[in-house]
Amino acid sequence: MANLEAKTYMSAWQLAIVVFVTCVGAQIMLSPRALIEQVGHGTELSVLLGGVLFYGAVCLMLVLAKKYPGETIVEYAPRLFGKVGGTIIIFWFNLLFFLQVTQIFNGIGKIITFYMFDRTPPEVVIAALLVVSTYCALQDWGTILRVQQFMFFVAYSILTIVWMTSILNFQPENLLPLWPVNIKAVIMGSFSTWGMYSGYECVLLLIPLVYRQASLSSLLKAMGGSFGCLTMIFLMVIVVIIGVLTVDEAENLLYPALIVIRSVELPGTFIERLENYLLIAWVPVVFDTLTAMMFFMGQVCMRHWRHADHRPWVLLSVPIIYVSCILLDNQHVYDMVNSVTMWIGMAFSFGVIPICLSLSWWQKRKAGKGCD
Amino acid sequence: MSCMVLVCLCLLIAGCWDRRELQDRNFVLAVAVDTADAGDKPGLEPEQGEKVKKTETFLQPHGTKRYRLSLQVLKFTPGGGEKEESKTYVISNTGESFFEMVRDMLGQSSKSLWFEHLQVIIISEAVLKQAGLNEILDFFKRDSEMRSRIKLYVTPGTARDLLEYNPPTKEAGGIYLADLIRLHTRNSHVAGSRTDLGYTVQYLDTRSNILLPRIEIADKVVKLGGSAVFKKDQFIGYVDEYAIAGLKFMYGTEQSAVIVIESPEKPGQIMTFELFRHDTRLIPHVEDGTIYFTLDINMYGNLDEIQGDIGGENTLDPQYLHKLEAAFAEEIKRNILYADNVFKKELRVDCVSKFAGKMKAYEPDTWELVKDQWDEIYPTIPLVISVNVSIQKIGSHK
Repeated sequence: MANLEAKTYMSAWQLAIVVFVTCVGAQIMLSPRALIEQVGHGTELSVLLGGVLFYGAVCLMLVLAKKYPGETIVEYAPRLFGKVGGTIIIFWFNLLFFLQVTQIFNGIGKIITFYMFDRTPPEVVIAALLVVSTYCALQDWGTILRVQQFMFFVAYSILTIVWMTSILNFQPENLLPLWPVNIKAVIMGSFSTWGMYSGYECVLLLIPLVYRQASLSSLLKAMGGSFGCLTMIFLMVIVVIIGVLTVDEAENLLYPALIVIRSVELPGTFIERLENYLLIAWVPVVFDTLTAMMFFMGQVCMRHWRHADHRPWVLLSVPIIYVSCILLDNQHVYDMVNSVTMWIGMAFSFGVIPICLSLSWWQKRKAGKGCD
Repeated sequence: MSCMVLVCLCLLIAGCWDRRELQDRNFVLAVAVDTADAGDKPGLEPEQGEKVKKTETFLQPHGTKRYRLSLQVLKFTPGGGEKEESKTYVISNTGESFFEMVRDMLGQSSKSLWFEHLQVIIISEAVLKQAGLNEILDFFKRDSEMRSRIKLYVTPGTARDLLEYNPPTKEAGGIYLADLIRLHTRNSHVAGSRTDLGYTVQYLDTRSNILLPRIEIADKVVKLGGSAVFKKDQFIGYVDEYAIAGLKFMYGTEQSAVIVIESPEKPGQIMTFELFRHDTRLIPHVEDGTIYFTLDINMYGNLDEIQGDIGGENTLDPQYLHKLEAAFAEEIKRNILYADNVFKKELRVDCVSKFAGKMKAYEPDTWELVKDQWDEIYPTIPLVISVNVSIQKIGSHK
């Protein structure tokens, strides 16, 4: 009997959901403080600019993928850069997922142990989440896609509803002045939002599953929808944080999003400490992101070494991920790795991909001339 | 092999680390912070008091004993005891680090001390004179067990006495004390809006001035009224209830208020207006480099009480009501000017940095020029007040 979970195609909108779910992940809790500290008033503009910027990066990736129907970057990178160069690009691509996964595990370990299980060592929380994420990442893409679609409708609605309760403490005056803002900080901040939007690189792996079903324009539209939703979610998070806490206070809090929810008091109800509800809704969201990223890592290795199964690679990555995220147990190291990851990601999106496009165009031109 | 892994994982990640049964916790409902030499256990002879003081504290190798931290703990005993028996008891300790004192108090507690349900923190004036609010609240703002909506009060007397207070309602003292402020929107003498731990920490982080409710106990009477004023985190004094009412009118934080005037036509006759709804706009203006604020208030409410000679008034007469409206508006204006004078001229402090916040939000360019001298500029800024009162109902009697 055929494996019904081994999905060989999906629609453009399914891809959009995957990109949305992979991107949102943990960063709604982990990123706001550093971003607000960097930009100050006008952080919301950085988020908007970041949305446009990284949508541009996805568009480049889609155009690149169009040139290689039915292939992922793992297959065409060696043809563009040669064997060694291609391997470096593939390693770079996989490193992005790996670094993000380790930071997310580390971040969620810290948050959960501080706000929910104060006596549990973070290592235990990380191990628990790693086990469930690995279990899911060991499945075929069909299963993971179903989980992502389910979470998109369930976990995100709960997360949004809980988050919107913070409107009760919202003070629009905290957002003022809307102008003037520090333009340089806003622009630099838009680069820093990479941490929030990252994960979109998965299109380079997933395009073969959709490509024959959809045209480039429909893919661009679907990705536009995905980035529109992402920008809206991130804007909602940043605007509410500043509206409730002010820029000056948000800079001083490690996880301002949680403090925003923690301050909510629902009059006339017995419901208290809403941050626990937010965390409960957030854990599946993070699980979703981690699962997808671990699956992508396994897929890249599988394709690169031409194996038939991604599962051994996923299992092999587990101890490496665990040890790496435990080693991040220092805020300074964490911030440094975060910054390095951001620049690696930016260089990949705005350096490697345009070079890939140029090389592809140059090689096709050369091949065309050869036929004359 | 996989079974062994599964069993190991079940043992390791089952979350038992955090298992703490409800009956194994002591719920702290209220915290009092006094100076180390105040807040001794009440009703003891000086010699006994000294002995208790020595017993409840610990050897401190560093620093000095600066504070007395008292915790009001909920009794987890079934009812049926003596009628006058309190639902709480107080344990106390002296030291410098609050966290160290709390941990040392485990020597006085059979169960772990649990702050998740802490309702109120009361700080004595004496402590605030020797330390800034920021350092006193640091432990409370960092700890994950603390909630943002914990009420903060300042008392001119001894904070511990309020923890020993047994409410006539027989509810737990901490809950009673915290609930005193819940109706601040209907009591113009209490500034309760944005005065809890969460907002106070926000003001501290933004280096704003702070206002905290003042609470006092005399014999068995506990009363909330007036406020303690802080310049940044330094306590600078108290303001009375009338100034608080004026401030609330100025900032538009009241949802209901009672305004009492003497009748403009009959001296000795007292008229009372109950505010139901208002539209208050405090707006900064900059003209030719001169900063001034306008305050436009429209109030709507009812005529609720007339005292004195109540014969002859026709409260259905629009002319008569207009005169009353003008008189109430005049009184509100007087009240606001009083508050403005107290804060600008006497204390010279921009309360909760409201005026600074308005400047920053609506006149950012000017704010950049004046922000460093704001403390000197603020007392010189004129406030132009316009108040309109509309009496919409007169009750069921004319």
